[in-house]
Amino acid sequence: MDLTASGVRVSTAAPRTGALPANIALLGTVLSLVGLTWDIQWHDDVGPDTFFTLPHLFLYSGSAVVGIASLVVVLMTTAARRAGRPIDARIGGRVVNVFGKTFAAPLGYLVSGAGAATFLVYGLWDQWWHGLYGFDAVIDSPPHIGLLLATTLQSVGTVAVFAAAHEHRWGRIGALGTLVVLLCASPVLALGLQQVPDDILDPVTVGVAMSSVLLLTVAAGFIRRPGGALGTAAGVAALQAVFWWFSPWAAHAYADLVSLPLRDKISNVPGLPSLIPMALIAAALVLEALFFVAQRRNWSLGRVSVVAGGLAALLLGICQPFQQEMLFPRFTPDTAYVLITGAVAGLFGLLGGFAGWRFGGMLRLLVPARKEAVDA
Amino acid sequence: MRKTLLAFLAVAGLLFGFAAPANAYEPVNIVHTERVQAGPYGLTVGFSVWPLRAMQSLDFTFIPDGGIAGKSGTLQITSPTGGGRGVQPLVRHPRKLDVWGLDVRSLQAPGDWTFSFVINGPAGTGTGQLRGLQVLQQPGPPMGLSWAISTLPLIALVVLIVLAWRRTRSRLRGGGLPATA
Repeated sequence: MDLTASGVRVSTAAPRTGALPANIALLGTVLSLVGLTWDIQWHDDVGPDTFFTLPHLFLYSGSAVVGIASLVVVLMTTAARRAGRPIDARIGGRVVNVFGKTFAAPLGYLVSGAGAATFLVYGLWDQWWHGLYGFDAVIDSPPHIGLLLATTLQSVGTVAVFAAAHEHRWGRIGALGTLVVLLCASPVLALGLQQVPDDILDPVTVGVAMSSVLLLTVAAGFIRRPGGALGTAAGVAALQAVFWWFSPWAAHAYADLVSLPLRDKISNVPGLPSLIPMALIAAALVLEALFFVAQRRNWSLGRVSVVAGGLAALLLGICQPFQQEMLFPRFTPDTAYVLITGAVAGLFGLLGGFAGWRFGGMLRLLVPARKEAVDA
Repeated sequence: MRKTLLAFLAVAGLLFGFAAPANAYEPVNIVHTERVQAGPYGLTVGFSVWPLRAMQSLDFTFIPDGGIAGKSGTLQITSPTGGGRGVQPLVRHPRKLDVWGLDVRSLQAPGDWTFSFVINGPAGTGTGQLRGLQVLQQPGPPMGLSWAISTLPLIALVVLIVLAWRRTRSRLRGGGLPATA
């Protein structure tokens, strides 16, 4: 505080940038991801389940953290509007009215908070399901897919929160960091496609390839400079390596803690990390190379991202079955099956590249043009 | 800022400190058994729930006469339509380590299932099958309704994207840089 000669107190505190709640929301999404990989490994290597396990605690506390951070920002924004104070749209994005004008919610926090609340409600749905069907740890049960979709929603909201602050370095890094979290979790969500017949192609591989390409092109379309897709893919590879060590370690340490033995004949290959495409960096290089050429020749980046997405997804679709064969030798991919899967992945990749680039641009428009940014 | 961080850490501490996870797991209670003869080996197949219903999980135990010591084997589960997960080794039940078993496993479809066993032991190799294992219709609401409930977040996400797409369409057409970049 500074006391001026006229006696008027002038605040010299730095203006709020929104970094704290954004990073707390990111912490929540990371907690959820840690809980997810730990839980999958627990079921693979140890087995017995109740609702009250440590991995479940991570999953639920992750959503609780995101939910609390989102709720606090929405309440503070609402209080600021009621008091007539200016609202900075760089904190979470454009403000939207909820329940009439009862609440003023920055769009990013509205989405992340809604995702977190949905996760907690779907926890009850999952608990009811387990009460009826038992605790068979199938990942693709309806409540599990609902829970995964809810965490996706909370992560999408967190990406938007950081994207709204894209003029800050932490905003850009945080958006890419949350995309890394989303990309690591997306192959598990793709397991929901096991419900689709897999006689002529592998729908899970198609889903993994398309979602990976979509998220990489979101990163490229958001950053709009070389390295967005590659940096995100490198972040995913780093997290994949960490989880490759962490997931079995955590599952086995927890089993020791509660005096439970490991299953007989467990695999040395961890569950969630083995689902993440190892060819992701190669796919990102394809995207980066085509964007580089397009920029040099002044081609439309939006159109090039369609072709680039198709090629990158074709690469992922063909490599993914071989990754499974390498890790789990009992899988022996048939050439025609791999080619059909790769071709269909490539077709969906065209859509992923198209939508991803557009989504990246949409993220940059979360904050109104500067003259409108301060909304009284 | 410091107060906010302290409050956040306090909440996290309370959450993890007081929500100690339970470490008591239910015992394996067998309520029904079937006998299978696999060559020279008699095998008792136990079920923790009877009758079986599709998607409803239970514990299975596989107990060769004389115990599992010195024996090994495989199990192949075949669905009513002839599909299945392939051959898997017989492993100890994680909550009843003196017998082989499957913990909280469900059979997904109604109909007659087959369990095929290969047992290796001091008397050589024996094979046997448990045929006509009847699984009744699934309990609970139809799967269509369950999936409809579970895909609501996806529908919300699609609606959000469509709205955002329409509002930003004019500024992003052609893939160029947005106006605020």
